[in-house]
This record gives sequence, C-alpha cells and structure tokens, in this order.
Amino acid sequence: MRHIIAYAILLTLAAVACTTEDKDTTAPVIATAGFDTNPIDCQTYHAGDTIHFCYLFEDNRELGAYNIEIHNNFDHHTHGTSATDCEDGHHDEENEGHEHHDDEETPAGAWVFVQDYAIPSGTTSYLAKQDIAIPLDITAGDYHFSIRLTDRAGWQEIKAIAIKIKTNQALEE
Amino acid sequence: MIAAAMLMTAAGDTNITLPNVTITANTVHHMQMRTSQTNMLITADFLQSNLGSSLMQTIEGLPGVSATSIGGGQSRPVIRGLGLNRLVVSENGVKHEAQQWGDDHGLEIDQFAIDHIEVLKGPSALLYGSDAIGGVINICSDMVPKQPFEGAVTLMGRSVNDQLGVAARIGGRHGLFFYRANATWIDYADSRVPTDSIEYYSYNIALHNRRLRNTAGQERDASLMVGLAGEQWQSSLRLSDSYAKSGFFANAHGLEVRLSDIDYDRSARDIDLPYQMANHLKLQSHTTGRIGLWGLELQLTMQHNHREEHSEPAAHGYMPLPAASLERAFDKRTYNATFAARHPLGERNVATVGISAEWQHNRRGGWGFIMPDYDTRTLGIYAYDRYLATDDFILNAGIRYDDATTDIHEYNDWYATPTPEGESYLQRAAECHHHFGSLTYSAGANYTIGAWTLKGNIGKSFRLPSAKELGANGVNYHIFRYERGNTALHPEQSYQLDAAAYWSNSLWQIQIEPYLNYFSNYIYLNPTASYVDGLQLYQYTEARVMRCGIDALASCRFTTHWEGEIKGEYLFARQLSGDKRGYSLPFSTPWTADATLRYIYFWHGEGHIHINAHLVGRQDDIVPPERATDGYWTLNLSWNHSFAVAHNTLTLALHANNLLNKYYYDHTSYYRLNNIPESGRNISASIKYSF
Repeated sequence: MRHIIAYAILLTLAAVACTTEDKDTTAPVIATAGFDTNPIDCQTYHAGDTIHFCYLFEDNRELGAYNIEIHNNFDHHTHGTSATDCEDGHHDEENEGHEHHDDEETPAGAWVFVQDYAIPSGTTSYLAKQDIAIPLDITAGDYHFSIRLTDRAGWQEIKAIAIKIKTNQALEE
Repeated sequence: MIAAAMLMTAAGDTNITLPNVTITANTVHHMQMRTSQTNMLITADFLQSNLGSSLMQTIEGLPGVSATSIGGGQSRPVIRGLGLNRLVVSENGVKHEAQQWGDDHGLEIDQFAIDHIEVLKGPSALLYGSDAIGGVINICSDMVPKQPFEGAVTLMGRSVNDQLGVAARIGGRHGLFFYRANATWIDYADSRVPTDSIEYYSYNIALHNRRLRNTAGQERDASLMVGLAGEQWQSSLRLSDSYAKSGFFANAHGLEVRLSDIDYDRSARDIDLPYQMANHLKLQSHTTGRIGLWGLELQLTMQHNHREEHSEPAAHGYMPLPAASLERAFDKRTYNATFAARHPLGERNVATVGISAEWQHNRRGGWGFIMPDYDTRTLGIYAYDRYLATDDFILNAGIRYDDATTDIHEYNDWYATPTPEGESYLQRAAECHHHFGSLTYSAGANYTIGAWTLKGNIGKSFRLPSAKELGANGVNYHIFRYERGNTALHPEQSYQLDAAAYWSNSLWQIQIEPYLNYFSNYIYLNPTASYVDGLQLYQYTEARVMRCGIDALASCRFTTHWEGEIKGEYLFARQLSGDKRGYSLPFSTPWTADATLRYIYFWHGEGHIHINAHLVGRQDDIVPPERATDGYWTLNLSWNHSFAVAHNTLTLALHANNLLNKYYYDHTSYYRLNNIPESGRNISASIKYSF
C-alpha cells in the first residue's frame, strides 16, 4: 500500500514537473487610443456618416480576434458592459415616448451591424481601425456600439459604448 | 466496485441499517470489505437529519462529494471534481437518465422516497458502462416495507427561498405481496442573497428585496411500487414521475445581461420567462432470485425525459423573431435491460457475468439549436471474479466490453441566411453515424490487519462522446457563445488508481483516500480566439489530463455525548496537451475542510446538536473564461430530535446554514461567471411523523 501511495505521489510530481506553469491568465485590454479614440460614450452621428472606429488592443501574450456589433438601444436597456445612458438634455429627441417597446421585435429600420475581424498573429499591441458607414435609411435614435476582443488563450474582453445617431439633416430638409 | 456488484446481484434485502446519524458506513468493517472501491453508505436517518435544499446539497458533506449549484436551490453532484456525464446517478441499480443535456438542471429524483444512498468513488464502468468515471451515486428507493401498514408525513420549510413542502409515504406488506407509494409537493420563491446588487462586468444589477429575480420554482413527485417477495426471490414494478419547473435568473443567465420588459418584481413566487420545466417518467421492473447455486438478477427499465426551456423570443443575426417562447425542447426515451448471473467457482471464488442493452431515442425542438436529434444503441457484456484468499484478504478482477452506435440526424436552420449563392437554410448538423467500441477493466484488493483496513483498486472507465460534443453547431443563447462540436472525438478513456486506508478503535475513526487519475482524452468545451456569427467560438476538443487528490476524515467519540470530526478534500488537475496545456480543468473544485462538533443527548428519545465550520480554499487555478474565486468559510448549526409517540416516531429538525450570512462565491457554481453570490443565511425546519 505504502508503495502504491509513494508511486502515485511520484507520478503526480512528474506530471506537474512536465507541465510548464507558463499559462496565460490575463484577459486582453480594450484601451483608448488618445485623440483618435472613436467612438466614445455619447458621441453623436448622423445617418450617412462614417464611424472612424479606432481603439488600441493590448495583451500580455498574443491578441486573438475582435468583433464589432451595433444594435439599437431604443428601449434604453443597459447592456451591462459599461455602456452608459446619455442624459445630455437632448435625450431622445427622435424617440420620445418610446422608451419601452411592448413587442420585442427589432423596430423597423433599426440598424444592425455585426462583423468579425482578424488581428495579425503574434501581435501584442494593435491599433484597430475600421471605417463603418452608417446607412442613410435607418431609424435614428440611441445605439449601442459593442466591441468584443479575444486573446490567443481564449480570454475575452467586452466593451459597450452608447452612441446617438440622428436623422441626416440633408434628408430632413 | 466488483463487490458492489455482489450487492446488486444478491437477492432480497442486503442493506445494512446503521444506527448512527453520521456516515457510519465507514465504521462498519463489513461495508469496507465489500468492495475494493472507496465507498460510503448514507442512511435514511442521515438524509432526514441533514435535509438540504436539494438531494445533492444534503449529501455534499461527504468527503470527496460536492454539489455544483445551478440556482433556484438546485444542484448537481460532483465526485472529486468530476460531474455531469462523468459520473452516474443510478436508481435501484439502473442509470437515471436526466443530467446529460445541460449544465443547469437538477437530478429529477424525489428525495423523500429514498431509503439510502451508496456512493462509489472512482472508476465503475464494469457495472455501469459509459460515464461512470468519477463514480456512482446509487440511490435506493425500493426497499420492501416490513409492516402490514406503515408510512410517514413530512412538512418542511426553508427561509432562503420561502420554500414550503409536504411529502407523504405509505407502504405495507401482506404475505408475499408488498406495496409502497410516495407523493411530494414543493414550492419555493426567488432565492435571497446577502447583497443589494450584483456587479457584472462594470454594471450593477440592482436586486429587489435582495432576491435573485425569477429563481422561484416548484416540484411534484409521485411514485407507486408493487411487488412480491419470497425467501429466495423478489420481484417489483415501480412507476415514478418527477416534475419540476423553475425560473432562470432574469438579469443574467450565462454571459450576457438579459433585457426584458417583464415586471419581475411584482411577485417573488411567480415563474416568468426565462424558465425551464423537466418531467421524468420511469417504469422499472426489478427481479432477483436464487436457483440452486445461481444468483440471478433482471432489470427492465423505461424512462421518458421531457425538458423545455422557454425564454422571450429575440431575433439574432439572420434569425428572425421566433413566434413562441419555446427556445429548446428535449425529448428522450431510454429503454434498458440488464441481466446478471452469479455462481460460485469452488470454495472461495464467486464469478459473475452480465449483459446490458440500451436504446436511446432523442428528439429536439424549439427555435434555438444546440444539438441534433440522435439515437444511441449500446450493448455491454462483463465478467468478474471475486476471490477470498482468506477472510481478511479479498481479491477481485473484471473485464467489460461495450459496443455503441450513435446516429446523428441532419438539422437545417428553420430560417434562411443570405449567402453569395442566394438564400440558404444552413445545415447545422450533418447526418452522421458513429460506432464506438470500448474495453474496460478493473482489479482490486481488500486487506484487513488489526485495526487497519486497506484497499487498492485500479480501473479503466470510459464515456461515449455525447451528441452535443459531436454535433453541436450553433449559438447557445443561454451563455451567449457559439458552440461547435467535433466529429473526430473518441470515447473518453480514464485510468485511475485508488488507495484507501481505514483505522478505527472504540474512540477514533480515521480514513485516508488518495487517488491518481489519467485521461488520455478528456473532452471539454474550449474557448477559442475566433468569432462566429458575432460571438466567441467555443469548440469541443480533447486533451491528455492528469488528476490527483486526496479525501480524508478523522472523527472521535470523546464521550457518549460528544463527538468531533474533521474532514477535507484536495484535488489537483493539469492538462498535459492541446490548446490549454498547462491549465487546470474548467471549474476545478478548490480544497475544502470541515470541522464539526456534535452533542448527542437522550431525553424522551434521542437528539443531536451539530455545529460545523465549512472552509473552502481560494481557487486561482483557472481556465478562460473563469475568474479567480476567493476562499470563504461558513458556520452551520443544526438540531434534530426523535420523540417516541406511542409506537410511532416524531422527528423534528432545524438547520441554520451560513448562520453568519456570509457573502461568498462558489467557484464551481453555474452562476459564478455572472458574479452571483451563494445564498445567505438559511433557516430550514422539518417535522416528520412516522407510523
């Protein structure tokens, strides 16, 4: 019996010794990129504009991939990943009185954007830039701009930004 | 494990009823000599005096056994860090089909119908086939009543979720004929947690009255058993149904914060969307008998599981808004037949052979696709031998072969996705045929010398890859990730070496149970760096894994009135290959330790008072997407007393769990990723009248 236990302990020690402890336990970081950072909370766009997305991604080992998703926030849900509600006085001009949609359906004309992007392998710091055109014919209102970022190990970081999209003035006239 | 089979094939009532409240099984030398596996017996008395919120919480105090909380007072068993489909929960010797589909539903067993439970730790494939890697929790609910008429009524309540419950059982024996019936009703409200808000990512979810929104639920169980019992044989038929409905935490289930216009706070007792319901119908026929020197056993079982998960319909990607709330439905029918025959070979040898056949039919439904329809057929044959070299030295060895076929059916999206070639109903699962063969074995020894009992067991066990692991391909809306199966997976193979040493005298009882476990291909869901349909891709993959650990217990009965006990478990795991080489396994159990002081008194019957400190270590051996979890300790107090009332018994029990109302996280809990703490102070009371 004693031999079996000793053998077990030995085997385990061997197993542990054979396994290097250099695993990655740190999630990647979605950082601002100085003056170029885009979009930021409560930033306002007009339909037809282009969002010059720019954020700095960093990881201690190696970045993985990222994804951008834009969806409406007409019901003023809080997304849970740091998106704030913008109480800027011009709150909801276009959507007054529509804070709660009774039906769960995506409102007609609401903009949905989902796109996955690759990051060159071996990168630990990456300035992500994308030009995202806002279609002209979308419903104006509050939107959430969410960024998802992974690293090679599979850790994920999520950041959600509250933005406003107003009706294109040219169209209004 | 081989000797555990002896227990099953033995005719009639081989159950030992143990007088003590604690896990007295270990004090009984006979019990320890019955199998070379580490085993424990939990009596009905222990269950009654330790009623937790669920069956598993009741028995999680055993060294090496823990429970993964899945919310709503429900939990799943874990033996030495292995849970879900890496252990078998069996009822009366037949695998209880319930827990293979999801991570978040309970056992579907009426805990008031249980006579006793045997826990086997370590590889048990020989008798139970696939999945019995971590061990077996064998629930016995078919003991023959001894009186012409007997029964019990239990009322219980619990403060943490305002739970109310009532359970009744009757039974009787008249000559050869016997019967028994059980009925249980339980209703509970949203669970309380010791906090006003939950911080999830950087968002604070405010809680109404410190309750987890929409975690209320209800449970209804009923069973009826009739049978005939002679001196050399016994045959019974048992019909049981277990129904449970419970809500999922409304604000965050899985990784994403949920949005809803439902007014969850209008009542703490109602069940809104999202919720799940599960029904388990089982018909079991069990016959044992002796013919000459032969011992024979035949089990025929039909099980029908039906589970539904409902949530508010939501459009995602190209999927339009579904018309109804039924997100997922799983319908599973299992037909199982096992036969075992035992015969002595010479003076000191007993050989057993057995055959087991199973057919499983699985159908899905709902708008959320997680896994395809599939059918599985399994045939297993085994043989083992038990050799009593002397009365104090017993050897055993056995071998088993399983042949399994899994047929996965094609599944296409119910909605069209635009592709360069035009609109297409994307195929999520392809028609697929898998054939697996698996050879498993086990050998062990029991040895008694003086006050010592020593055991050693080595065994190989296996697990067939599930249809989800093979054929998943879709968004898991619960956890908000994209899950993809892997058709190249092999049956999971596990090799385990177990040792156990027991020492006892009239005062002390000590047990030490170390183990070493190696998986040549541990299957798990690996978070990758990629995105699919806007969500992080999780893909099933295989890795070599080494695990080891130790369970230990020491108890001392200082006087007739005082008893003390210390126990603990430690477990270590490493992935030796693959993408996550160097990491532990997902949701690894941290070390735990318990110190209990027990006062036993005799006054109009017998009473017990326990005070227990439960310590759990910090877990920072983590795998993405987990977060490190701090250690904690809780103080628990309980009292129970059995009064003799005429010829009947009245048992009162009162428990206070987490008496200090500690705020803590359980690293293995389903809701840990959402930063949801465990329950606060919970006072529960039960009163049982047995006649």
